[in-house]
Amino acid sequence: MNPSVDALRATFGNAIGRALVARDGETIVTIGRDALLDVMRWLRDTAGHSYDYLVDVTAVEYRDGERPIELVYFLRSLEQRADLRVKVELPKEQELVVDSVVGLWAGADWLEREVYDMFGVTFRGHPDLRRILMWETYAEGYPLRKDFPLRGRFSRAEQVRQALGANPEAHYSMEELSIAEAFEELPEDMRERLRRGERGKIPFSE
Amino acid sequence: MKHVVETTEVAGQSPNWLLTRLDDLVNWARANSLWPMPFGTACCAIEFMATAASRFDFARFGMERQAFSPRQADVLICAGRLPFKLAPVIRRVYDQMPQPKWVISMGACASTGGIFDNYAMVQGIDTIVPVDVYVPGCPPRPEGLLYGVLLLHKKIKGETVLDPELRREQPLDDRGLRLPPEQIDEISEPFGNSVHQFRSA
Repeated sequence: MNPSVDALRATFGNAIGRALVARDGETIVTIGRDALLDVMRWLRDTAGHSYDYLVDVTAVEYRDGERPIELVYFLRSLEQRADLRVKVELPKEQELVVDSVVGLWAGADWLEREVYDMFGVTFRGHPDLRRILMWETYAEGYPLRKDFPLRGRFSRAEQVRQALGANPEAHYSMEELSIAEAFEELPEDMRERLRRGERGKIPFSE
Repeated sequence: MKHVVETTEVAGQSPNWLLTRLDDLVNWARANSLWPMPFGTACCAIEFMATAASRFDFARFGMERQAFSPRQADVLICAGRLPFKLAPVIRRVYDQMPQPKWVISMGACASTGGIFDNYAMVQGIDTIVPVDVYVPGCPPRPEGLLYGVLLLHKKIKGETVLDPELRREQPLDDRGLRLPPEQIDEISEPFGNSVHQFRSA
């Protein structure tokens, strides 16, 4: 068992749930979702632990429909040469919202976008929460959820139609560039393309 | 010296021209200088590269120059699976190619979706662009692709310059589709092992 778990329990008490050692020897610790940011900051900044590297963020949904969706954070301490898996459980009957850790590890940006894209978990405070694997106007839902049909929700013809409707040369959106205030300084052609909204509208969004 | 004089006499007696059908001449030229536009997305592209390399060397069939610009390409070779996200891209590439143009669908995934009968994958690129030759295999060996190229040669040699329909551009219709929706659905129907997967969980 990773010694960080006992230190966490001593510091955060009830916010730390069950802990176990996985078959590969790594320690898994479950924490409450409200304590996520505090726990993560503590793990990153406390001397003797210093998990300075966020390896991956992913999520798991189990076939048992009553089990919550689990968010999994893979942490590594380059200094201690130690690994720790932190899990947060998100019950399905509640809104799937959790705090973003981009403020702690900038590398979480795309990882959280992927979890959002595939599982529909919203990360509060994420600077640019958009789909990353599927295209931005994808309207069929979240593909890795268990209630998502393998072949998608729309007919094949509709899928082809929507895919062909995308503009492959539309590289930039306002959100992507985060430049709403710098709009006037952009080249004329880019301004024109942004004005036209040529990335397309998200179906059923309005 | 005597030998040279005899040669001159023979040349003088034979005509310096020959007769052929225009179709034969044009098709001979087209078939033997096909410039491929490789659209490699997966493992088929590895076999495609092997086909282009020294052992198999499709330069032997007039495909010496690979055109990495669709503007100078004759045949689009889709080597690999095509996700929906790439569908508008291959359509754009196809539209940018000048006539005459042909398409080879290389491998099971490009032709039918292959093992990827899921939410992200185009079930056969013929729902996006017209296809001339399908090369089966997962991935096909270089011999397979070469056989497909030779079949395309055969097809080209059967064409005629008198039929403008062969060279007519076919843009997407008002619905933004190449084929009627029912036909796309029918082409995309699961088959083989895929029928054991169920559509709704």
